[in-house]
Amino acid sequence: MRLPKGLIVATILLFAVVIQITLFGQIRIIAPDLVMLVVILLALTRIRPELVLGAAFLSGLVVDLLGSSLLGLRAIVFATVAYIALRTKERAEIGRFAVALWVGILTLIGVVLLVLIGTLFGQTSLLGPNVTRLILVVPLANLLLGGLLGPVFVRLVDGSTTAFRFS
Amino acid sequence: MVNREPRGHTLPLLVSLIILGVLLMTFDVRLQGGGVVGVLRTGTQTIIAPVQQAASYAVNPVADMIDSLSNLSNLREENIALRRELAEAEASLVGVQDQLARLEHLEQLYGMEAAGDEIGRTVANVIGRPDAFDAALIIDKGTSDGVVVGQPVVDTNGYVVGTVRSVTRGSATIVPITADRQALTVMVGDQIGSLLSQVATDEMRLEILTAREPVLVGDEVLTSAVSASFPAGLPVGVVIEDAAPSIDVLNAKVDLFVKPDTLRLVVVLAWPPDPITASSGETILPAETSTTSTTTEGDGS
Repeated sequence: MRLPKGLIVATILLFAVVIQITLFGQIRIIAPDLVMLVVILLALTRIRPELVLGAAFLSGLVVDLLGSSLLGLRAIVFATVAYIALRTKERAEIGRFAVALWVGILTLIGVVLLVLIGTLFGQTSLLGPNVTRLILVVPLANLLLGGLLGPVFVRLVDGSTTAFRFS
Repeated sequence: MVNREPRGHTLPLLVSLIILGVLLMTFDVRLQGGGVVGVLRTGTQTIIAPVQQAASYAVNPVADMIDSLSNLSNLREENIALRRELAEAEASLVGVQDQLARLEHLEQLYGMEAAGDEIGRTVANVIGRPDAFDAALIIDKGTSDGVVVGQPVVDTNGYVVGTVRSVTRGSATIVPITADRQALTVMVGDQIGSLLSQVATDEMRLEILTAREPVLVGDEVLTSAVSASFPAGLPVGVVIEDAAPSIDVLNAKVDLFVKPDTLRLVVVLAWPPDPITASSGETILPAETSTTSTTTEGDGS
């Protein structure tokens, strides 16, 4: 029996949120943004673009609600990153390395947007002592995870064993 | 190459979502985290908390192992320093025990009873952080353990960490003073000032508006009795540069005793000791600090 795509996506997003706040919330040396990674990778699946944007916005809202920053900040950032991902996904569909690079660049755009919009709305705590390191480390961590997990993620969500099998 | 296929409804949808996001941010700023936003926050945290706690049991050992491996050299040095401190502490403990025995003897002699520490303490584990850019800490104690919104939080040494921002039955979110938009009212010597967070550094800025005398390197910064959010006399940090008043305003840099991102254990203080019971149910609000069920107005002083 094949599970509904929406349920798979919701489960993966919940898993990403929980792992982000528990595991990666405590390891300071490795700092990916799992939720942003899932949002970006959703663009590579066959899910309707409108639903990808909606899922991105909602997952950003959940992260905002769990934290102390402004409600809607990550929702805007994740939705914007998802939109850019949808518009540029052909660049990633050529190989695993391309997927990794594409994820890394989009995450970089995401964290820069997060810091910029957050600062505009007075969230100076986003500009903590490690902001420069984080702006580099988070995209790098997502780049590595994107390269490793991207194709598997697409196959899992689309239920296709042949998707993203690069020659 | 950018996708030139028909975009369908994605662009209008994105614009709508951005507008909705900006509206939500504006609401959050206007309501200062309270009202509907506060209810939403508490609701989401209540739903996620059980999953999060279950996950933290599984991932905590992994996190500890990775963290320890990455800090192996630091741990060795820390271990040596801790052994030295332990030896010193054991030596001074003997002296303290002597003094306590004398105190007890004198109390009996004069029929006195020392006033106890009336502030209740709830020790809690830090079980998560929302993401790399959010300084908030999530702890494993909530309303069922007596934690309420606005209560002050210190580390195990009694150094100031922050305040409880929102709380569910089994978890709470702590906002460290470094990430708080509100200034903290503090005391240096007999001068009262405000401690403000700064951009791209974990140092804070001390501002005394009616300064009479300079502050010097090493001066301890304590919470003030004027503060509505913290009991008086809790250690916050230390002044790291000499500063003299300019006209009557003084600005100095302060290094905090606590680095919030390294905390694994915190202590929530039941302060003020006699909170007002809220009519909304199980949430109890500390007097003077909050007007909503989920957020605090900050220092409010």
